Amino acid sequence: MSNMKLKYSKEWYEKRIGLEGENEVGAGYLHGSPESDKEKVTFVDTRIALGAFVSLWRRNQGWDAARLAEKAGIETQEILEIEHDPHCEPEPDTVEKLANVFGLPAKPLLELAGLIQPQTAALREEAVRFAARSESAAALNEHEREAFEAFVSAIAGAVRKK
Amino acid sequence: MNVSAVYLKRGDTGKLVEASLVDEVTDAHLSLWENSWGPVMKVRCANRTSSDKPEDYHWDWRQKAGWWRPLLGYHSFALLCRNELQGLMLASDFRSARIQMQFGKPIIYVEFLATAPWNRPELKKPTRYRGVGTVMMAAAVELSFELGYRGRISLHSLPAAEPFYRDSCKMTGLGADAAHHDLMYFEMTSSQAEAFRQKP
Repeated sequence: MSNMKLKYSKEWYEKRIGLEGENEVGAGYLHGSPESDKEKVTFVDTRIALGAFVSLWRRNQGWDAARLAEKAGIETQEILEIEHDPHCEPEPDTVEKLANVFGLPAKPLLELAGLIQPQTAALREEAVRFAARSESAAALNEHEREAFEAFVSAIAGAVRKK
Repeated sequence: MNVSAVYLKRGDTGKLVEASLVDEVTDAHLSLWENSWGPVMKVRCANRTSSDKPEDYHWDWRQKAGWWRPLLGYHSFALLCRNELQGLMLASDFRSARIQMQFGKPIIYVEFLATAPWNRPELKKPTRYRGVGTVMMAAAVELSFELGYRGRISLHSLPAAEPFYRDSCKMTGLGADAAHHDLMYFEMTSSQAEAFRQKP
């Protein structure tokens, strides 16, 4: 619940509702879709989280994308695609190499990348919360560091929970 | 729980009428959905085939409330006029923007938005009220500003509603989302939200 209150004028409603006209306005799931609402976290959502995670991890080390690519033995372009293009499906080998550098289990990262079937709903929920709290500033602030460390724990914990 | 005084427009006379937006869907609202909205929807769609029924025909708001209520990060809204439920919306505050200029920034995502069957031109003409979508979009935008998200909002539009989000709200369409049943994904940027707030 918020403390939000709408304070638009009567004239605003007159004009705006006129623009709405006879249009339909529904948003959400299609009929016939499964009512498994918690499954709505998609690969795009989790890839955004993966990209934010990779970016924050290397910034936490003070590394640029080229340094991380060198350490992992992959192309810098692959790092940049993972960080900035959630529609790009990374190679499994690339994700495994990154997991190795991060010192984390590869499976949760492969799951976030959409390369294996989702197995841990809690991880995906955690991923979107993490991504929403990550900004792309140059250095990690306290807020980001807190989110980052919580997400690292969630990734490590995802394996133990299976 | 906050109640905002808002307006809807009568479908028959075109005159504005006062309505109330409540920023929490309560059991009383769900009872209205079960006892009025739901039965009317069933009656008006009785002779329709599955593919002709409204896209949200099978949504169960009681069931939805069961999972969102214990969780943080969800915001529900009920729109009432003359003691009748006119619209329902569920939004979340933990997703990220996708459009390049605001990529990765937190955004208010409209999970579900629906209007009562008597407000739908495909089920009743003239509709009882128009403007449910406008009020709910205003609520999402103001929630976004209040949380420091600068007006950024997003949603997946049901197919028949795309003109509303594209043409009336001036949101940016990012194409059909294969990860979301090919529904069109829309985002409103901060500048679009500022424009939305202004009198057109």
